[in-house]
Amino acid sequence: MTTPSSDQTTGWIMVLPALACIAVFSLYPAMDSFFLSLYRLYVSLPGLETSFIGFGNYEQLFRDPVAHQAFLTTLGFVILSTTFELLLGTGIALVIHERFKGRGWVRGSVLIPWAIPTVVASQMWRFLANDQYGAINFVLFGDRVNAYVPWLADPWTAFGVIVMVDVWKTSSFVGLLVLAGLQVIPDGIYDAARIDGATAWQRFWHITLPLLKPALLAALLFRTIDAFRVFDLIFVMTQGGPGDATQVIQFYGYKTLFTEGRVGYGTTISVTVFVATLILSLLYLLTVGSKLLERERA
Amino acid sequence: MFPAQHRPGSPSRLIPAIVTRCIALASLLSVSVLLLTFVCIIHESSAGQTRNTNTAPRVLRFVTWKADQPDAWDKAIQRFEHAYPHIRVKREIAPHSSTAYHDLLTQKLKNRDDSLDLFLMDVTWPAEFAAAGWALPLDDYFPRNEREKFLPATIVAGMYAHRIYGVPSRIDSGMLYYRKDLLEKYGLSPPVTWRDLVHQARTILEGERTAQPLLRGYSGQFQQYEGLVCDMLEFVGSHNGSLLTEDGTRSNLAAPESTQAVRFVREQIVQQIATKAVLTYQEPESLAVFVQGKAVFHRNWPYAWGLANDPRHSKIVGAVGVTTLPHFSHGRSVSALGGWLYGISAYSHHPDDAWTFIAFMTSPALQKHFSIHASLAPARIALYADPEILQANPQYTALFPVFQTSRPRPRTPVYPIVSHILQRYFSRVLAFPETDILEEAQEADRRINRFLDLAAGTRF
Repeated sequence: MTTPSSDQTTGWIMVLPALACIAVFSLYPAMDSFFLSLYRLYVSLPGLETSFIGFGNYEQLFRDPVAHQAFLTTLGFVILSTTFELLLGTGIALVIHERFKGRGWVRGSVLIPWAIPTVVASQMWRFLANDQYGAINFVLFGDRVNAYVPWLADPWTAFGVIVMVDVWKTSSFVGLLVLAGLQVIPDGIYDAARIDGATAWQRFWHITLPLLKPALLAALLFRTIDAFRVFDLIFVMTQGGPGDATQVIQFYGYKTLFTEGRVGYGTTISVTVFVATLILSLLYLLTVGSKLLERERA
Repeated sequence: MFPAQHRPGSPSRLIPAIVTRCIALASLLSVSVLLLTFVCIIHESSAGQTRNTNTAPRVLRFVTWKADQPDAWDKAIQRFEHAYPHIRVKREIAPHSSTAYHDLLTQKLKNRDDSLDLFLMDVTWPAEFAAAGWALPLDDYFPRNEREKFLPATIVAGMYAHRIYGVPSRIDSGMLYYRKDLLEKYGLSPPVTWRDLVHQARTILEGERTAQPLLRGYSGQFQQYEGLVCDMLEFVGSHNGSLLTEDGTRSNLAAPESTQAVRFVREQIVQQIATKAVLTYQEPESLAVFVQGKAVFHRNWPYAWGLANDPRHSKIVGAVGVTTLPHFSHGRSVSALGGWLYGISAYSHHPDDAWTFIAFMTSPALQKHFSIHASLAPARIALYADPEILQANPQYTALFPVFQTSRPRPRTPVYPIVSHILQRYFSRVLAFPETDILEEAQEADRRINRFLDLAAGTRF
């Protein structure tokens, strides 16, 4: 038998490289960002007096109407995109879980949108949504060119297109997670239910769904956090326009930090996003994580 | 390192233990190798800077954007390397969009990256680059008598706090392109006022409704980005309005001259003759609509002339006219000043070589090359009398006064911030037709003034 202390040493040695990586590439930048967010720092104004301002940037963020709007836009994006992605992803998983001819091909091709780099996919959809040569208009209206819609020119349709593209892109990722959840449900339960005369709907509602809960919650966790940090999609497709209608919080942070050179305020925004996602993850982990652990112990 | 432990009775556990130790050792080793490599790389790169032999050509690193006419640029650089064989120019190509290029370039400069020697600056950047200490003052290289040979607006654009930081590569001014054939067909002459333009566009669209249902009256740059500021500055300016007050210390958007012009753009241009699609256009998209023959009028910079008359890109070769931008009935035409200036990085180790390159590229011969092969309007005044240039660009004669009076955008080290506030304001009032223009303008004024005050309060 190995003694516990030597086991622990080995364990520490094993995780040391990973910990070192996290410390250098995550912890240090996060701490540094936090310190920067306590300063009033403009790269183009090196002569600013009184640069340390404590939590002044956070106060300003709290009162900034542009930040409020960006935050609400992000929230709307998160709620809409994750809802549709979970629904669609579960649908995809149920289909590719069934046995049918050519299932391997379907499983592979379902993942294509997820495998395309976001920048490429966004550029592609920007072309598809173009008012004159975009395929969306052609499919919807055919020859009736007077009905063609400039999808990204209207604040509401632009927001809708952004959500739609994200759903198109990441539903299959949710599908993959849910599929893994489906595969651990033993067939015996379904056989027993069938013998008891349960309909397909009843089997889905009373067996599949409850047993899928951990997988669904894990998917929800990943998707909410990712959607909260959405950036590339907006950067390529709309640049936050028209009229800031698609400006999400990360893009606002990028603009303040990198284009405007307001280092203090820009990092304040990113630190806030970081803390928000951290709280979200902890909340999920407390609910989902404990359930997952229970299952493992059982 | 790890004392071997004798574990009687558990030989099967021994193997995994060895395996885990091997893995641990291997990962420790790989981390140290990685670290060593890093140290070597850093050492190597710092050694590389001091190594300077006379035989090998020196390398100048030039950060530039994806050009509209890459061939003309390739040839120009070949000519330079031929004339100065001891200098090689290595280009780093950044995105076409001015904002994206700005972000990439300033990121390098913030990090005091000494691997780049020179760059192009948009006319709105010198104040920021000078105040941040990124651009080298060029007063010693670029004496006053040499500056006088350039269009004054382009020289002023490169100045900040009485020093000069940029050498003009060309001049850009907003101008109105139009379909000569369509205007002739309806017996119209190029519009003088914006109301004329709207009226003419309506007449032509009405007449062409069945033949060309996709034809638009106007195509310009109205996406939420830097170009929107230029386009709107022209409308506001030609209505006797301005973005900032004359002394440049206050924002002036809520003045009635400004808000009325904005209302005109919202109601007559965007919602009527242009359609809302222009809210998604930057220069390339708006030009594409025009060269496909789907717009009567088009606002763009001088470079569009060459592309609109190039059969590889354009369906309207020979049918293109260009003139001064219209104005409102009681105002004067205003063109936004655009264009790019060469600047030298304050962190460069080869400022003299960089200057040699800049002097060559902005020489009369090279500006002539760019104006003939890339339709870039020369910044040197004397070239507007050159017969070969005028043959390639006959419109220059009529547009020379425009080049002389182009209006710059606000000149302040916090321009990127001011620009974002302007973009938000203009894009909001154009995209949301129900917004109260005056209210939005006052809000933008307040925010802009806050940053102008901040900049005014700092010493340079």
